[in-house]
Amino acid sequence: MTTTEPSTKRSLPIVENFGRRAAVKGAFATLGAGAFVAAISPLRQAAKNSSAAEFMQQHYTELSADQKADVIARLEAETKEQYGADVTIADDRPIPGTKFVYAINLSVCNGNGKCVEACHKENNHDRDTNQSYIRVIEMPKGTMDMEQGSTTYSGAVPKDDKFYLPVQCQQCDEPPCVDVCPVKATWKEEDGIVVVDYNWCIGCRYCEAACPYHARRFNWKKPEVPAEEINPNQSYLSNRVRPVGVVEKCTYCLHRTRRGKLPACLEACPTGARVFGNILDKDSNIRWILENKRVYILKEELGTKPAFFYYFD
Amino acid sequence: MPRIANLIFAGVVCLIASMLSVAVWQSGTDANTPPGVEESAQSSVAQSSVAQSSVAQLSDKAKTTYPVIVRKPSGPPRIELAGADPQGRTGSVACSTCHSVREPNLENKTAATLDEFHQGMTFDHGAIACYSCHDPGGSDSLRLADGTKVSYQNVMTLCSQCHSKQAESFAHGAHGGMNGHWDLSRGPQMKNNCIDCHDPHSPSYPKMIVGFKPKDRFNEPPTDDHHHEGAASHDDH
Amino acid sequence: MSSITASPQSTGPPEEHESHVTSYPRFIARSLWLATEGSLAFYAWMTVLTALFLVGANAWANQVAGGMIGTNMTDHVSWGLYIANFTFMVGLAAGGVMMVIPAYLYHDRKMHDVVIIGELLAIAAIVMCLLFVVADLGRPDRFWHMLPGIGKFNWPISMLTWDVIVLNGYLILNLHICGYLLYMRFLGRKPNPVWYVPFVMLSIVWAISIHTVTAFLYCGLGGRPFWNTALLAPRFLASAFVSGPAFIIAAMVLIKKLTGVSGLDQPIATLARIVRVTILINLLMVASELFTEFYTGGSHVSAAKYLFFGLHGKTALVPWTWTAIGLNITAALLFLWPGLLELRWRPLLVAACCMAFVGAWIEKGMGLIVPGFIPSTLHEVVEYVPSQLEWKVTVGIWAFGLMVFTIAIKTALPTLKHPAEH
Repeated sequence: MTTTEPSTKRSLPIVENFGRRAAVKGAFATLGAGAFVAAISPLRQAAKNSSAAEFMQQHYTELSADQKADVIARLEAETKEQYGADVTIADDRPIPGTKFVYAINLSVCNGNGKCVEACHKENNHDRDTNQSYIRVIEMPKGTMDMEQGSTTYSGAVPKDDKFYLPVQCQQCDEPPCVDVCPVKATWKEEDGIVVVDYNWCIGCRYCEAACPYHARRFNWKKPEVPAEEINPNQSYLSNRVRPVGVVEKCTYCLHRTRRGKLPACLEACPTGARVFGNILDKDSNIRWILENKRVYILKEELGTKPAFFYYFD
Repeated sequence: MPRIANLIFAGVVCLIASMLSVAVWQSGTDANTPPGVEESAQSSVAQSSVAQSSVAQLSDKAKTTYPVIVRKPSGPPRIELAGADPQGRTGSVACSTCHSVREPNLENKTAATLDEFHQGMTFDHGAIACYSCHDPGGSDSLRLADGTKVSYQNVMTLCSQCHSKQAESFAHGAHGGMNGHWDLSRGPQMKNNCIDCHDPHSPSYPKMIVGFKPKDRFNEPPTDDHHHEGAASHDDH
Repeated sequence: MSSITASPQSTGPPEEHESHVTSYPRFIARSLWLATEGSLAFYAWMTVLTALFLVGANAWANQVAGGMIGTNMTDHVSWGLYIANFTFMVGLAAGGVMMVIPAYLYHDRKMHDVVIIGELLAIAAIVMCLLFVVADLGRPDRFWHMLPGIGKFNWPISMLTWDVIVLNGYLILNLHICGYLLYMRFLGRKPNPVWYVPFVMLSIVWAISIHTVTAFLYCGLGGRPFWNTALLAPRFLASAFVSGPAFIIAAMVLIKKLTGVSGLDQPIATLARIVRVTILINLLMVASELFTEFYTGGSHVSAAKYLFFGLHGKTALVPWTWTAIGLNITAALLFLWPGLLELRWRPLLVAACCMAFVGAWIEKGMGLIVPGFIPSTLHEVVEYVPSQLEWKVTVGIWAFGLMVFTIAIKTALPTLKHPAEH
């Protein structure tokens, strides 16, 4: 699109007359085109980093079994090549009859941030920025107004006059982020997890604007993780190392939870504030909590219907 | 709101197109879902992790249920000797080493009234006496309020006498940290016991230091009070 | 110069029965030739624009190669200068319709003669819109994912897909209308109303739609209280009908001065009268918005508080906002003064237009996009100031847009100079 001006100028000499003026115009147009090519030469560098196969890759839901295997093999090879780590990328699908729900006990959470760190390590986040899908807000007791909270608290916790509100993706049943995506790069799966196809996302960040929970992160640069720190236990829709320029989010660690395990943030929580389970199972812990505890839903008034609950003892 | 939008748009999109797309979508998912597991299991990239999950799927059918394992203390506590004994020996001894030869003082409630041992101990667990929980008749076990002996391993039974609310929550996974599997048909779950987190003599959960913080670009460096402004917003490096 | 006589410029109207297959390429070639003919000042102007465009293209290429870490956007303020300019540009494109309505609905002959300026502005502005969107994408290489058919187009749920449709539709409509009229003129024929009047009527509705849909992009997001107001779309339209006509007035004054196109004074006056009303409507809407925000209070007001007074000591946007308010009010007062339309006050009129234009740019650009993100949805205050790279890309796209507009106006000059031969 941007080349229109110089290139069309260049086409001038095909017009009947090769006058001096036309020649001069043609020369300048060629010069302009050349300068343009030189100006966008950094793109060649970028093109080197992405293969034709990646460029042509279809949407996740449209890949056949063979194509998926090829894609995963390619991604594993790329991780080996670019990060020097041997990883296994699985394609974990929802377990039939499950709907994942998370709950956090606000009476117990003391804001120590171990979940934030566990998420960072488990999900192969960029080391430089300490990226994580979880943010913990320190709030004064006696309010639910986040305006009065702070995420940059430090030191010994819990402070006497504060309580702590960890926020991550709420896996909404009416996810605004999914609605706004122009290319269906993000969708809600049968077990309630909102996932992103990192190889389909165009990086417009509309979902980031739409999410009321600050749950989405954009890869402003290529994530840097030392080979020995890479979690090799990966999944296509979850914690594989993300490409630059795409949006990512919490998946309730689907590479763990779809294999029956607990999410990393829950295992890391020393206070036991976190509870995870299948809400369709009548005997599950999470059902008991929702039926017996006082439950709070973050920004319930927005109608996003989160699969994430806060409760109090 | 999206629902309403859906309704409006449903009118806009013509019926045939929607039926067609539904048909296409359905055939797409029919083709996709069942091979989900098989396909990853048979593909060359499927490694142990995926194999595991398909094994778990099989065991699901067999209704194997893994246990919830609550950690237990290894046994009665051992008391570290303060300094060496006259023979120059150090080490730890069982409670009964001393207590079997001493009269229990049922009145004692704090470390302050002790003159020989346990003086430095912090005790902050309400107004209960030592022998509310410790067994005056056998110091290597605990006792319930009704006098029943209970071993140190089963300390949770003792705690639950008073802390029934917490015990109830614990039984439903709503209190205490855990590890392992949420889905017991695929693997066991390990849970902490009371005294993993709560010192029985001073049970309130200890304070912790926040170690890890996301360093967002241009976010101000951690401060206790976000109303107080630092000069530069470019924090790291 | 002798070479000019041999140039395609001298190619007269073609034979009556020449086929479009041969005449259309000749039309394109002649337009291009015309567009690249001009004075030394014209060449200097185009050279400067090309240079700026190249700087922008280079900055953008670096952004794609190195990741958007080169911008100052964050996960908190995830849209910045690009989307701000995009929003403003949609307004500029829609603003052109303020010439079309008098010309075609009220049969203002004078306006009809020069209405093509508005349509060409729409083309240039839409091109800039599309470039700003592309500049904002993290993965422009995956642009094809949005193409209906081969990609996946989340229509009708995603407002962005609506925007893609209406913007491209508006571009095509205007390209068709302008292209058809210029081609007919090249052929020396009278344009057949069947081939363009229905499209003009459609473009009027369409112009409203592009800005409404763009407002819906923002006001449909429940998580962003600052945008989540029903007044946003009307406000967008009102400010579009300030910035669009203001730009056109300034452009027409310039065109009159540089090329001697006559018959521009009456359209200028008409447009000035339109701005006189729309600028007040815009101010009224801003005022009612602010009243609702501040009188109600609560946490919804924090974004507005940040915008006007700063929040928690962060005040990056405050000077900009008050500048915009000052410019808008001054421009509104100037437009209210009847003397402004007099010929001797032309410089003042242009100044007023510039003020209104810049005021709208701040108010609807950074003043609208950035406070949507500050405080963030978790009420963190992370400020945003565009990086040098973002400014370069932005300037580059503006230069390209002006280049398109200049070339388009050049191409249309004969039509403007000798209108209504039919």
